[in-house]
Amino acid sequence: MRNRWNPSTKVPENVLVYLIAAILILPSSSIAQIAQPTITGRAAIDGLSFRQLDFEQPKVERVALDGVEVLHLEDNSLPLVTVHAYFRGGYGLFGRATYAAAMGLPALMRYGGAGHKSATEVDEEIAHHAHQLSFGTGGGSITSTLNTLTHHLPTGLSLWGDMLFDPAFDLVEIEAWRTRQLEGVARRLDDPAVLAYSELNRLLFGDHPIGWEMEPNDLAPDRLTADVFRALHKKMICRDNVVMGVTGDLSQQDLGQVLGPFIERIPHCTTVLPEPQAPEIRRAHGIFLIEKDLDQSVIVMAHPSDVRLSDEPEYFAAMMGNAILGGGGFSSRLLNRVRTQEGYAYSAASLWTTPRNHQGLVGATTRTRPDNVAPAIEAMLETMSTLTRESPTTDELVTTVAQIVNGFVFNFESPSAIVARSMYYLAQDMPEDWLERYWTGVQEVTPESILSVFAEHLHPNEMTILVVGDPDRIGRDRLEVFGPVTTIQVR
Amino acid sequence: MPAKALTQGLSASRAKIKWRLLGHLGAIATTILSMACVAATPRIGSNKSVEPQSHLFNGRIPDVEKIVLENGMRVLVLPRRGAPTVSFVMQYGIGGVHERPGETGVAHLLEHMLFKGSETIGTTDVVAERALFKTIDELHEDVLSANASGSLAEAERLKDQIDRLEDEAREFVVANEFDRILSRAGAQGLNATTTSESTTYFVELPANRAELFFALEADRMANPVFREFYSERDVVMEERRMRVDASPRGTLYERHLSTAYSVHPYGQPVVGLMADLESLGRRDVERYYQNYYGPNNAVLAVVGNVETDQIANWARLYLGSIPERLDPPPVELREPEQTKERRIIIEWDAEPALRIGWHVPEATHNDAAAIAMLSVILTGGRTSRLHRHLVTDEQIAASVFSSTGPGSRFPQLFQIDVTPVHTASIDAVEASIYKEIKRIQDEGPTDEEIARVRNQVEAGRVRRLQSNLGLAFQITDAESLFGDWTTTFKSAELMTTVVSEDVRRAARRYLTSENRTVAVLQRPGVSR
Repeated sequence: MRNRWNPSTKVPENVLVYLIAAILILPSSSIAQIAQPTITGRAAIDGLSFRQLDFEQPKVERVALDGVEVLHLEDNSLPLVTVHAYFRGGYGLFGRATYAAAMGLPALMRYGGAGHKSATEVDEEIAHHAHQLSFGTGGGSITSTLNTLTHHLPTGLSLWGDMLFDPAFDLVEIEAWRTRQLEGVARRLDDPAVLAYSELNRLLFGDHPIGWEMEPNDLAPDRLTADVFRALHKKMICRDNVVMGVTGDLSQQDLGQVLGPFIERIPHCTTVLPEPQAPEIRRAHGIFLIEKDLDQSVIVMAHPSDVRLSDEPEYFAAMMGNAILGGGGFSSRLLNRVRTQEGYAYSAASLWTTPRNHQGLVGATTRTRPDNVAPAIEAMLETMSTLTRESPTTDELVTTVAQIVNGFVFNFESPSAIVARSMYYLAQDMPEDWLERYWTGVQEVTPESILSVFAEHLHPNEMTILVVGDPDRIGRDRLEVFGPVTTIQVR
Repeated sequence: MPAKALTQGLSASRAKIKWRLLGHLGAIATTILSMACVAATPRIGSNKSVEPQSHLFNGRIPDVEKIVLENGMRVLVLPRRGAPTVSFVMQYGIGGVHERPGETGVAHLLEHMLFKGSETIGTTDVVAERALFKTIDELHEDVLSANASGSLAEAERLKDQIDRLEDEAREFVVANEFDRILSRAGAQGLNATTTSESTTYFVELPANRAELFFALEADRMANPVFREFYSERDVVMEERRMRVDASPRGTLYERHLSTAYSVHPYGQPVVGLMADLESLGRRDVERYYQNYYGPNNAVLAVVGNVETDQIANWARLYLGSIPERLDPPPVELREPEQTKERRIIIEWDAEPALRIGWHVPEATHNDAAAIAMLSVILTGGRTSRLHRHLVTDEQIAASVFSSTGPGSRFPQLFQIDVTPVHTASIDAVEASIYKEIKRIQDEGPTDEEIARVRNQVEAGRVRRLQSNLGLAFQITDAESLFGDWTTTFKSAELMTTVVSEDVRRAARRYLTSENRTVAVLQRPGVSR
């Protein structure tokens, strides 16, 4: 029988029915074998066959309301509605002097009171109606989401509108936020992994927003006045910058009526956002050490990568290769070597970031006891080097691609996630059908194309390697095998 | 050659896999569907309460079907519409509380070993592997003897020998095959977790591959092979270092529990003490498995786009013939009543932290709902009393949370976990907390506070249905721990019946100075 997408989810005409019929195992004659309960293990698994899985990919509708793009996907399986707002902007666009304020803007929109309501009154209204509100920021965006019971949507939208478009920036709340941030700065040293990742970022990106870490100077009171917040708010929270999304128990028919008053409140922009600056990422071999007396050390390493997110074979080969190297869970090479074979670590992983408009990073990380630091680094570098010389096996590639292809349906489990993804594509000027292009692109990857992209873009001997740990127990001389060690003072 | 073609080219003898992708998405099929019905009348703007529209509800409890197999295994099935995916959660009612002193961590180590395959998965020659295991296990016994007699150099030599033999045995291992079979099927989130009272395995699959779960899960329940044991034990030691030994908060948590519980095994770390992990051998874990990892101690929840009859058939076919094993050993130790405050200071080169715990009853006790209400009123969000006073008004804490734990079947702790601002005095933070608790004890929460929590419980009733995996966890836990999957929903219902006096009475009864254990993390030499 065919499974269908939730019939209560509105599906427009002309939508394609996407059939995903992936790996089918063995001829049908073997199906009878598994009727015997005595067959277990490989015999049972080899005897399985799977029916076709077909499902209708829900189509997100694009609606223009008062000039604002709204993406909509109805799902009335539960009496809940989620409304997303994505504003281009973020802390990376306005310079170091306003770094903390830009980082704090979403938090202060949430906590700092709104309209004529004090911060406490806003909190109480949210709690009383059991709204769920989130506010966040990245280097290039500010996002906010309202999730509420359908019958609380009008009051929720009214309050959310106050918070987004008429924030009060209460001084007590600004100071409370500043206090928490200063605490976060002080505590950054307590978590060796957080410390390692942030310091590696700083080493690689230098004085670029991606490399910035919050410092007490950033949090000086004169950099966090209500006027500073208002000025940043005016630049970012305006209609030229916004993409909206709605999912849940709200029909398209009702969309304009319900969302219209909210959309009308979005102010017009008075300035154009500045263009983000591309980073210049350090590309030089080096061993860095942050001394910390710990029973377990953190190792992290990376170098810049020129592979960009694009509809090109090189990108898909890099992504599949990274999954095989260390991004793909238990079966990946790094985890298999560092964890399964050597027992050095609980986890080990690689990363390969691929921004669209500037260089990204390729690297790896693990945590291990001090006396295993040097052998673990060696094992990681060796594992990477092997993939620059030899293609991955067919079996590895098939496993990696099959997981994506057969698991493709998981991209459509949550209507809210579907719309959030579509909003991101729209805001980033990516093709609407990017997910389908990805699905297609990964199937074109070959072992040879992975070898080619690794040979060109992965250079273990150019890694900036950072270790957080106790040099006496690690053995400084054992680290120096990888090159001269530079100690970083962090306090 | 592209992966698509590569998979087609696999020989049947290698993997017996045929790729039957019907092209890429953009060119697959063109069936046109009719539009689904949508509500004709807007409900928005109405003040009338809207009842949940979910097909899940039968009254206030989802329509879960419970199937009990002949061997005692319980299978809970909840079919749902939506994307054709299915979530599986398998829970064994065995955890840290069932471990004897000296063998802490055995349940968690066994959890790791269940990913190593079986007699036919993950191996090319299980007989050859087992021959080596015998020698390795004897060497492990020799290591224990050498350590006991103080012959540390000899112990190290024997450990090196174990490493070499494990490498030899690895020649027969098909690494991580269990994971790879599921990965190829498109599985998501394969993992497991061990708590004080249970061990839980979970994974999500495309709905058409549900049968694969049964075939694999039955195999590892009935025929696991604990290969690569000693290197995996090293992995668990690294996990302990990450979570506890190199983590100030992890150490604070572990020491707080071991101080609060003088007798009950809730005071034992689930990840295991390092000394215990070092002495655990394959035979210890096998014995634990042989005793308790039976279907009669297991609950499986299946939630997703599936049919109940089909799931029931597969459960019977694959799991129904696995023999029963012993019931878990009863936990007979009872924590004696605490009559005096306990206090511990942990010195660490890190910013301060504070945990306060009070002994409270198990989760099924009549006072549990009032304690849950108390928790929300004290620390549930920005309107809660402690957040408002400590974080917003006095600005002496960066965050404050509360919870009950570490388990729920036995008398537990009501715990407050504070991140003080490092410039604040811990004494001042503690005093502020006790002042607010005293107010609750004297006056009880306001009607507005009670109403607010009830509204949140009502909304939570809907929100908890959003995730298949989340639902599967909820019902598995309730069935496994309390013998009734509906407990999770009934507990939420009970919270809506709590009144101010219930909360006041619970606070007065349990949150006393003599009943509390305080753990402080601070830098060496710092005055409080």
